[in-house]
Amino acid sequence: MSGPSTDSAAVAPAPRPGVTLRPARRGGLRPRVDGNPLEPYLYLLPHAVLFFVFIVYPVGFAIYVSLHRWNILSDNQPFVGAEFYTRLLTPGTPQFTFFWKTMGNTALFTVITTPLLIVCALGLALLLHKPIPGRSFFRAVFFLPTILSVSVMGLLWKWMFENRTGLVNVVLDMIPFTEPVAFLTTIGLAWIPIIVGTVWWTVGFNMILYSAALAAIPQAYYEAAAIDGAGAWAKFRYVTWPQLNPVTLFAAVTTTIASFQLFGQPHVMTAGGPLRTTQSVMMFVTEEAFTRFQFSSAAAMSLLFGVLLLVVTGFQFRLTLRDLGRGRA
Amino acid sequence: MSARAPTYRSTTVASGPAARTAAAVRTRVERRENRPRWRDAPRFVLLSVLAVLFLAPIYWMVTTSLKSEADTVARPVQWWPAEPTLENYRTILESPNAPFARWTFNSLFTSLAFALGSVALAVMTAYPLSRMRFRGRNFWFWVILASMMIPGIIFLIPHYLMMIDFGWVDTYHALIWPGLPAAFGVFLMRQFFISIPRELEEAARLDGANSMQVLWYVLLPFLVAPMATLGLFQFMASWNNYVWPLFVVHGEMQTLPVAITTFSSRYWTAYGKLMAGTAIASVPVLVAFLFAQRYFIRGMSLTGLKDE
Repeated sequence: MSGPSTDSAAVAPAPRPGVTLRPARRGGLRPRVDGNPLEPYLYLLPHAVLFFVFIVYPVGFAIYVSLHRWNILSDNQPFVGAEFYTRLLTPGTPQFTFFWKTMGNTALFTVITTPLLIVCALGLALLLHKPIPGRSFFRAVFFLPTILSVSVMGLLWKWMFENRTGLVNVVLDMIPFTEPVAFLTTIGLAWIPIIVGTVWWTVGFNMILYSAALAAIPQAYYEAAAIDGAGAWAKFRYVTWPQLNPVTLFAAVTTTIASFQLFGQPHVMTAGGPLRTTQSVMMFVTEEAFTRFQFSSAAAMSLLFGVLLLVVTGFQFRLTLRDLGRGRA
Repeated sequence: MSARAPTYRSTTVASGPAARTAAAVRTRVERRENRPRWRDAPRFVLLSVLAVLFLAPIYWMVTTSLKSEADTVARPVQWWPAEPTLENYRTILESPNAPFARWTFNSLFTSLAFALGSVALAVMTAYPLSRMRFRGRNFWFWVILASMMIPGIIFLIPHYLMMIDFGWVDTYHALIWPGLPAAFGVFLMRQFFISIPRELEEAARLDGANSMQVLWYVLLPFLVAPMATLGLFQFMASWNNYVWPLFVVHGEMQTLPVAITTFSSRYWTAYGKLMAGTAIASVPVLVAFLFAQRYFIRGMSLTGLKDE
């Protein structure tokens, strides 16, 4: 494996009988493509076809649909220009009212959930950082809920928070001075089952990210800090936390994106109620499309929402590129 | 050693006897460190309490499913079913409008097809993008990468209208094809391709192997672990997908996780039956997790992959 014959790519190849001598190249992943010059394109073709059909074309098609009055039962789809967009930006129309109301709901969910998912994940990762009996068992337990589907998780937490008979209310009933609460049907409180369920469900993802990052912090930094007289808090504040910055940023961005696409939890637990206070943007878009068959209006909404999300995903894209640059080095 | 050393090298390249010895040493060291110390007791207690809280909903799901409907709401609460029964399971499995076997098959088949398809597609696409030189290589990679930025919600309406045009509503095609060209797998596999030493491929080329043989005999053996991880994640993503199957397939074509919610509307607050349904829907993934736990958690830490 480390014989001299395989090192030839790095240095100028020594002339050997039977091998055509090629000039040494710098860089490059492979010196040259053997055989048909079309070969790389043939490998790329299947993906490229699907890529055009299911990614490039649909974006254009969505814009096209949003500028027409689309009726799936008719052959005639009249052009209406920006009507469905202006409707979303004109106060007083039902689309305006509910789009921005559900937008507010989704933003509220995101603003509460994202910090929770960061802090709880970091807490769990720190608890598990130093060796302790059963460490891999604990890690598996905290990660376990992430593999469940949103419908399982939703039904589970709906049952846990059921108004009189759910386990949470059974426990509240047993504790002195607390009373059962109608979580699922009270405005405001209906977010509690959704948020608790979401944290339980997804905290394991960020925990694993943090565990990996914690393990990668060089021990020497802590030794240096200890020599400087740092206590536990100072070590965390001046060594751990700054070292975790990239992961925190990554986790914050991906969690924000995931939270903005909230759909299944309220769909299963509250159906958006009471009075649409837990309805998310995604739920409203699907209601417009699949309940009222207003596909053009729904397309306009999802594009507007998508452009707003693009600010966040663009940020994530830059993070990915930075990782990519690192991987290539 | 740099803190940023790519962790995946250890999973792909280091699998020889030397690595195994290193692993054995590590285990021994860990075991020594694992000796309980009294200082750790509070942390251990806290972790145990948290573990109980995390497992409580799953425990409650299983025990509720084993109670009669009257017992699920009985007071005082039954922490353990007074008379354990499989009645709920029998009722829902025998109910005429709930083809659980069919729903399970739908989920298994489409998730498996999706996972295999995306792994094959990712490997085929990442191979030339990482190990061949040709015009437009960087351009095409950037195009694929840029598509990662498009928020998923934008595709919902156009994909649905396309499925109507293709006649794919209520078919397996609708659950398999649209998600296949996602950029993530290509991006991930390309990173792994790059980590394989170039010299191996050179040697095979000198022996007269063509690009297909190089891929199959030289490169793929290094990619088994990342391919398994990617496949596992794509399987899970497809199995747990909710929004898309909810609207594009109906009735007996539904996937299991979606079906249990639509089916639940019939049993509204009959939680014994609902929990039996959720237990049936989560058993396959729980079993998969038990067997492949290592891949799950390791895969997570090296990809930063995230469910939506």
